[in-house]
Amino acid sequence: MSDLRDLYQEVILDHSKRPRNFHAIDGAELAKGHNPLCGDRVTVFVKVVDGVVADVGFQGDGCAISKASASLMTEAVKGRREDEVRHLFALFHDVCTKDDVEDPEGDLDKLEVFSGVREYPVRVKCATLPWHTLVAALDRKPDTIKTE
Amino acid sequence: MPPWQGGGDMIRSVTFEKTEYADPPTKFEAGTPHIAGAVGLGAAIDYVQSIGFDAITAHERDLLAYATEQLGRINSLRIIGQARAKSSVISFTLAGVHPHDIGTILDREGIAIRAGHHCAQPVMDRFEVAATARASFGIHNGRDDVDALVAGINKVLEIFA
Repeated sequence: MSDLRDLYQEVILDHSKRPRNFHAIDGAELAKGHNPLCGDRVTVFVKVVDGVVADVGFQGDGCAISKASASLMTEAVKGRREDEVRHLFALFHDVCTKDDVEDPEGDLDKLEVFSGVREYPVRVKCATLPWHTLVAALDRKPDTIKTE
Repeated sequence: MPPWQGGGDMIRSVTFEKTEYADPPTKFEAGTPHIAGAVGLGAAIDYVQSIGFDAITAHERDLLAYATEQLGRINSLRIIGQARAKSSVISFTLAGVHPHDIGTILDREGIAIRAGHHCAQPVMDRFEVAATARASFGIHNGRDDVDALVAGINKVLEIFA
């Protein structure tokens, strides 16, 4: 049985208590994510200029995992090209669900802390909800997306 | 209304020319009935009656009172729902910790609770909470289980300190 500290690492606790970029952005693309079973809600705001994420923020309420994931996501994608963001989401999804994820360039960086989530299958959707919502915003699909 | 499925006991007579179904409800109850379930229900009723509802109620009330008192000593814990005649369930929230995180940590400590909106979102709105954690006590629980719950909650607070 894995230690709870593998899931609730310092970085995750810190970002859940003091989320970064925790605000709306005027004039940005936005999408809403909702996890109807557990009640997590997140709205992601993203401003893309010349194919690059110029600004990104979020609002919402949820568990420590979902809040920390949204916060760390905003830090990870700011300044990245859209295709890099999608690549990062694929890597992030893998790190939440699989062992031995290949990341030769070290793109995951801090997001690696979510590797503890794979031991807790019911919590994977908490970690991935903000990312699904970000991609919906990039795809200009503002309708509420669900992880079910 | 046609039968939804074929099987034993749902026909009256069958020939190549014509099939006649049994009268409802048999028509809709094809196949082997749920015999094991009925036998199990009988055994469960015998078991509950051998203990007696008075004894069950007394045990559950004791656990509810004990748990209410023990949980009440935790500063950041708020018990949701204080009806005088409530069943032996305690819904609660911890300041700064989402109920799903409480659930995950208690689960790892061997304690099963329910966390979320409990399919009762209007009640969550009434108490102005997004979700709660909820522990239930029954005849298979003892005061030591309440103590384990309190220890588990202290572990939650330690992790989220």
